[in-house]
Amino acid sequence: MTEALKEPKVRKCDQSEHFRYIKLYLIHYQNIIKENQYTANESNGVDVMLLKMLKKDFLRKKIITIAVFIFIMLSATLISCGSNMFIDLSNSVDHLFEKSNAPHFVQCHSGEFNQTSIDEWTRDNELVKIQQTAESINIHESNVYFKDNPTPEEAGVMEMGFVKQNDHFDFLLDLHSQVIHVSNGEIAVPIYFMQKENLKIGDTLRIKNDKTQMEFTVVSFIRDVQMNPSIISSKRFVVSDTDFEDLKENFGEIEYLIGFQLHDPGKISEFTNSYRLSELPQKGPSIDHELLKILNALTDGLIAAVIMFISLLLNIVALLCLRFTILATIEEDYKEIGVMKAIGILPPDIKRLYILKYFVMATGACVSGYILSLFLNKIFSANIMLYIGSAPKSIVQLIIPFLATGLIFFIVLFFCMLTLRRFNRITAVEALRLGNTGESYTRNSFLPLYKNRFFNVNIFIGLRDVLLRFKLYILLFFVFFICTFIIIVPINFLNTIESDEFVTYMGMGDSEILIDLRYTENIVERFENMVTYIEKDPDVEKFSTLIICKFNIINKDGYEESLFIGTGDPTVFPLEYLEGTAPVGDNEIALSYLIAQELEKSVGENIPLVVDDQIRMMQVSGIYQDITNGGKTAKADIAPNHETALWYMVNLDLKTNIDEKMDEYAEAFYPAKVTDINGYVDQTFENTTSQLKLLTLLAVIIAILVAMLITSLFLKMLIAKDSSQIVIMKSLGFSLKDIQLQYITRALVVLNTGIILGTIFSNTIGQSMIGAIISMLGAPKIEFIINPYHAYILCPIGLMIIVTITTLLSIVSVKNLNMSDMNAE
Amino acid sequence: MNNILETKELRKTYVQNKKEHNVLNNVDLQIKEGEFISVMGPSGSGKSTLLYNVSGMDKMTAGSVVFKGIELSTLSEKEMSTLRLHEMGFVFQQINLLKNLDIIDNIIISAYMAKDRSRKEINHFAIELMEKTGISELANNDITQASGGQLQRVAICRSLINNPKIIFGDEPTGALNSKSANEIMDMFKVINESGTTIMLVTHDVKVASKTERILFMIDGKIEGEYNLGKFKEEDKDSTQREEKLSKWLLEMDW
Repeated sequence: MTEALKEPKVRKCDQSEHFRYIKLYLIHYQNIIKENQYTANESNGVDVMLLKMLKKDFLRKKIITIAVFIFIMLSATLISCGSNMFIDLSNSVDHLFEKSNAPHFVQCHSGEFNQTSIDEWTRDNELVKIQQTAESINIHESNVYFKDNPTPEEAGVMEMGFVKQNDHFDFLLDLHSQVIHVSNGEIAVPIYFMQKENLKIGDTLRIKNDKTQMEFTVVSFIRDVQMNPSIISSKRFVVSDTDFEDLKENFGEIEYLIGFQLHDPGKISEFTNSYRLSELPQKGPSIDHELLKILNALTDGLIAAVIMFISLLLNIVALLCLRFTILATIEEDYKEIGVMKAIGILPPDIKRLYILKYFVMATGACVSGYILSLFLNKIFSANIMLYIGSAPKSIVQLIIPFLATGLIFFIVLFFCMLTLRRFNRITAVEALRLGNTGESYTRNSFLPLYKNRFFNVNIFIGLRDVLLRFKLYILLFFVFFICTFIIIVPINFLNTIESDEFVTYMGMGDSEILIDLRYTENIVERFENMVTYIEKDPDVEKFSTLIICKFNIINKDGYEESLFIGTGDPTVFPLEYLEGTAPVGDNEIALSYLIAQELEKSVGENIPLVVDDQIRMMQVSGIYQDITNGGKTAKADIAPNHETALWYMVNLDLKTNIDEKMDEYAEAFYPAKVTDINGYVDQTFENTTSQLKLLTLLAVIIAILVAMLITSLFLKMLIAKDSSQIVIMKSLGFSLKDIQLQYITRALVVLNTGIILGTIFSNTIGQSMIGAIISMLGAPKIEFIINPYHAYILCPIGLMIIVTITTLLSIVSVKNLNMSDMNAE
Repeated sequence: MNNILETKELRKTYVQNKKEHNVLNNVDLQIKEGEFISVMGPSGSGKSTLLYNVSGMDKMTAGSVVFKGIELSTLSEKEMSTLRLHEMGFVFQQINLLKNLDIIDNIIISAYMAKDRSRKEINHFAIELMEKTGISELANNDITQASGGQLQRVAICRSLINNPKIIFGDEPTGALNSKSANEIMDMFKVINESGTTIMLVTHDVKVASKTERILFMIDGKIEGEYNLGKFKEEDKDSTQREEKLSKWLLEMDW
């Protein structure tokens, strides 16, 4: 075929215009195959026709094409950004650990100790490469003044430790990941306080007490491999050696960080065990390499996981939209497809044309999404870059997000091909005779109108249509379901973390005030005085003491292993137990979830506990959740061992105003920290909470936009599909308002079904999903603390209003539907 | 007898590719109460457009349409819908029943919307209409479970459910075989004899010959009018009316 193709004379009709090109292309294509005369000129002609066809098709369905394009693009963007975040996080954490020469094991200790015995033990221990003992001066926040503030730092859970730069490892780094060195009068501040106090280089920090005052200039901000995350309640400030000695003389309590690096970090468990069984200083918490990595990666890791999850959801929405579009297109083009089949064009050839359209769309969207992600990566990884620092980029960092985007592309294309299998079922005769897919309303006798006594006719018709054609509304239902899920899960999670009851996941009962006394001289005496004061205080309703001490237990392998046990009466402020109950008497013990897993103990079984050099069999009375202290704690009502005690705490409930009492106690029990439980939880999870708030807001906005967009698209397509029925109703005397009411009813019925099921799903599967993540930290059965106003009133009503408004705006075109247009001469 | 429907210089213009097409060209028309008229003409003459404009289903470009003394252009969309619901009935060539309702629901739906009787009364009346038109056994059938003729009778029942003053029919027998077409026209005759005005659009001489007055349209204008008078019993087996009409149409160059 060498002559130019002549366009046949056909009546111009918007719908079938693009089919001219399809038919011409396919006929020509068939001839080319037959005659085997494929030349460059002919291929150019065919390509031009294909492009024309594609262009016309895209213009015909501009809005839905753009919408699907955007969804695929967003999905590609987010999966690329999410996978980039994971890589960044992993690389950055590794880089931070490398640059800071992170310790493999650190034991905090307050009180006297013998460095010589540590040196001897280290020499005898083959696992140890190098040991370092660093001093940290813990200064109470009431002595610290930032910038020109006349008032000191507010009392909180963060401990401020002032240190010198380390000599051998565990280096504190600046924002360029370089080892910090400060001169006299200078100070480096943790990033946590940089953000909290909005500090800049050059700002001042004063440390003041009754005797003296020292002023420093902020010269750097610290990346601290040990204490970066806000879940770690200590932060280190770096000063010069000289200033350190001055601080030591005039301020605070000394705490020691006894650090080790091993020849083989893989042997950390063995080392930890041997340390715990030794007589070496252990009056404080310890932390190892693995836990350091987890804690550093936790917040951003969660965020990255959520981003990937949202990408997946958006992809599902995109696929459903695609399915809807493809099916609607097939329905519109049904007759024409029948014609093509009738004239002998093969179904695979017809399918190829449709796939080409989606191939072009998916390619464009994925490429755009990937390119967009290159610009957005910085934003998503900003927190990682700040707290952990950036690592040198590798080729992997470009490839993996690209592959992830490619995955989206293939999923989309595969799904299109799956949906287009319908072509095989279209018969030419049926298509030509019926002119449509022959969509039949089976079960029209279901819910007959004549038996309807109560409902308004329009509401009844709307409701009935959803029930009869539910398959059609699946897209809308799924979107509302997902939107509800996206809104409710973060809101519930945020509400859970922010609520007072969250303290139960921190191994504590819910009290109004928490008094925390650590690392001070004469701690036992101070504590006993505190308890006496509280006992005599008429404003106290009830209180309990909790002294966390290190005890040894015999583990499943028969070795001694240390365990931090909170001694005191745990029944005054009871926890929620996963199994069993609080321990009663001195031969019962409750275990945290993680330690119970590790020791392979369940309720009713016995654990041998070493008390005063004697073995006492303690029966496990209950298992509780605890995400603090690595999630490995226990509780027992036994006498404390002051030799190994770490923390002294009092929980109490008041009969009077909390704020005034807190001030009174802060003054009376100085240097104990006095916080209300809510404040304690808030400060511990401050960074996580603020990130989660941002994420929640983002999720709500995305969900609302998606709901609006899909509702609008769906209804426009539904109106187009139902146009003949709408015109008939108008001819019968249905007004525009009547028809609007029918469509609003449909939208709201589907919405409310989606909301109900989405809410149930959020509170079950959503809750389990969050639980699965948090279980790694020690809280496997997190139960959402739901704010019913937010979850059951504000969100559903908000969505209903938005969907109603969107419906009204989307069905405006109903006004213009006329019988005369349908039956045009 | 009063005019139930009057038009004056009725014009309908469409704009396509920036060109104006006058589909109705200053049409003047009067229909009396109880008349049975048909509108004939070649394809594209504006017959259906006239129907849709005088029934308020389409907006006229200029001129006036007065139905029972009410100027339709002064009515809001809601008022027009209410007027159509209570005063008008429609029968289309494509039958145009609602796919998602069964037969009896298709008949009663506009009466339920009108809300001028109890639902029980409406249901009762619908069954009566179905019995009169010989389709009572189809009440709970799906619309795919009836023939074309039966469905057109359903459409007629639907058009009558609110006791309208006028029924409009756009080629109501166009898709039917001759037997069904005759049955439908007999029904229209009965309806007209009870006082309902009927205005049909048709290209079928046989159908038009059963009506009282025939209007002939070309290029958006009524070019001629022929009065056959009321169809009588004796005309049933006679082809005289058809012959007269055909002759007249020939004179009109059709």
